[in-house]
Amino acid sequence: MTLLSVENLTVSRAGQPVVGGIDLTVQPGEFVGLLGPNGAGKTTLLRAALGLLPFTGRSSLAALPGRERARAAAFLPQSREIAWPLSVEALVALGRVPYPGAARGLSGADREAVDRAISRMGLETFRHRPTTELSGGEQARALIARVLAQEAPLLLADEPTAGLDPAAQIATMRVFAAHAAAGGAVVASLHDLGLAVRHCTRLVLLDGGRLVADGAPAEVLTPGNLARTFGIRAHFAETGDGPVFQPLDML
Amino acid sequence: MNHWLIPGLVALVAALFAASLLIGPAAIGVGESLAALIRGEGEAVVLVMREIRLPRALLGVMVGASLGLAGAALQGFLRNPLAEPGLIGTSASAALGAVLALQTGFAAGFALALPAAALTGAVISVVLILLLAGPRGSSLVLILAGIAISALAGALISLVLNLSPNPFAANEIVFWMMGSLTDRSMDHVRAAAPFMLAGAAALWLTRRGLDAMTLGEDAAASMGIALTRLRLLLVIGTAALVGAATAVAGAIGFVGLVVPHILRPWVGAQPSRLLPASALGGAAMLLAADIAVRLIAPERDLKLGVLTAIVGAPLFLHLIWKTRRAGL
Repeated sequence: MTLLSVENLTVSRAGQPVVGGIDLTVQPGEFVGLLGPNGAGKTTLLRAALGLLPFTGRSSLAALPGRERARAAAFLPQSREIAWPLSVEALVALGRVPYPGAARGLSGADREAVDRAISRMGLETFRHRPTTELSGGEQARALIARVLAQEAPLLLADEPTAGLDPAAQIATMRVFAAHAAAGGAVVASLHDLGLAVRHCTRLVLLDGGRLVADGAPAEVLTPGNLARTFGIRAHFAETGDGPVFQPLDML
Repeated sequence: MNHWLIPGLVALVAALFAASLLIGPAAIGVGESLAALIRGEGEAVVLVMREIRLPRALLGVMVGASLGLAGAALQGFLRNPLAEPGLIGTSASAALGAVLALQTGFAAGFALALPAAALTGAVISVVLILLLAGPRGSSLVLILAGIAISALAGALISLVLNLSPNPFAANEIVFWMMGSLTDRSMDHVRAAAPFMLAGAAALWLTRRGLDAMTLGEDAAASMGIALTRLRLLLVIGTAALVGAATAVAGAIGFVGLVVPHILRPWVGAQPSRLLPASALGGAAMLLAADIAVRLIAPERDLKLGVLTAIVGAPLFLHLIWKTRRAGL
């Protein structure tokens, strides 16, 4: 069963394609790292795949009606907007919006999903605190918990680790990896290539709106691809502690 | 969050409603009033209770609830605590519609002409605000757009007054603009009720969407909220409520600003829970203000809109002060 299938997806702005001819399928069990320099089209691809932007081509998600799509895929936007001082619990419970009955209070299944999401992100101690009083990293974790509470098989996350401390970055990547291992799938745009290499099962490299490489980390982060898309060289080695990737210098 | 909030507000509204029925220039005892109201005993007293005080108290509840509800929904949608029907020009535009209807004689044409004209004015202003400030617009853009729309509507009202053929008509419009519940009849109640019910129903359907909007438009859309439908319901709902309220009571500002602001902490800041709370809170505030108007200056016909502005404007300044300190 394919969780996401995108064919020849193209998004144009003012007549110019910002993302062009993307083909991508995501299967259960995959944790896909979406890589590329700033402006490569990572956010545009994620939003278009969800149908949040007008596009040409085909996306299996965008074809679904709103609520069904919300049950098939959850989206963590890049902007970490929280307009009102909701408690962490109430914020996470927003993930239950796609399920009927959420307006009349949460059902038993809803509560369980919220509790699971809160404990997976280690937010038990913040449960009743207003989110606006938390630090940026804690807010980011609460927002990820909201996405988990939606209990969709596919998670699309736009820079989920930005602004998190190292422990929280690793914890977040592990939560996503576990979600994929449990039969779901994750597509996350990432700037930290080191994290991507260690946790993702597959990397997709974008450059100038085009998909330039797609495969296992070692196949994608080749010296040639790094030079062409990022303009860097890096140290990439398989060690006893798993793969290690460290950018070294600009070219 | 707080289970006693809604019952408490209901009790408060009920108490103020009763007080509004029992307070007035005609000195009538409590027992006598209720006997007249319910059983129709005593001809003059029945007239006072059923034709003067009952519509006034009913309109207090209806107009207050409409303004409170519209304010809470607008704030939730625009994700901005400064959004308010009065501040963003909806009340002024509704007043312009009503003034034009009064001046041209359109209002006398058919029963619902006045509320319909006010509603049209309100719709135009809400659409303009959404176009200018948008749901992502900053507080600054929202307030500037509101000032522009209010100023334009105000100028057009002035133009109508300017061209008014006789000073009495102009005088009447000026006093009407200040907002009041004095001398209203059951006809006003009947004219406003359908619009207010329709508006409240439209806004009731937005509550799940307003909650989701807390996380921004993209997150809300990805959770299955149809944003176009949400926006449409919001425009129709707010315009119907504010248009009908303005048509029967004139321009009454700041209720939609103050009430959601006070009640937000009591509902855990959740936009959906704020809607019923703000409706009740708005009804309580307007009833209280209308009673205060009668108690403070019974002989001078102090206007309701003047009083709410005197109370509300300092609170608005306080809000701006807080927003400024938060670095927005």
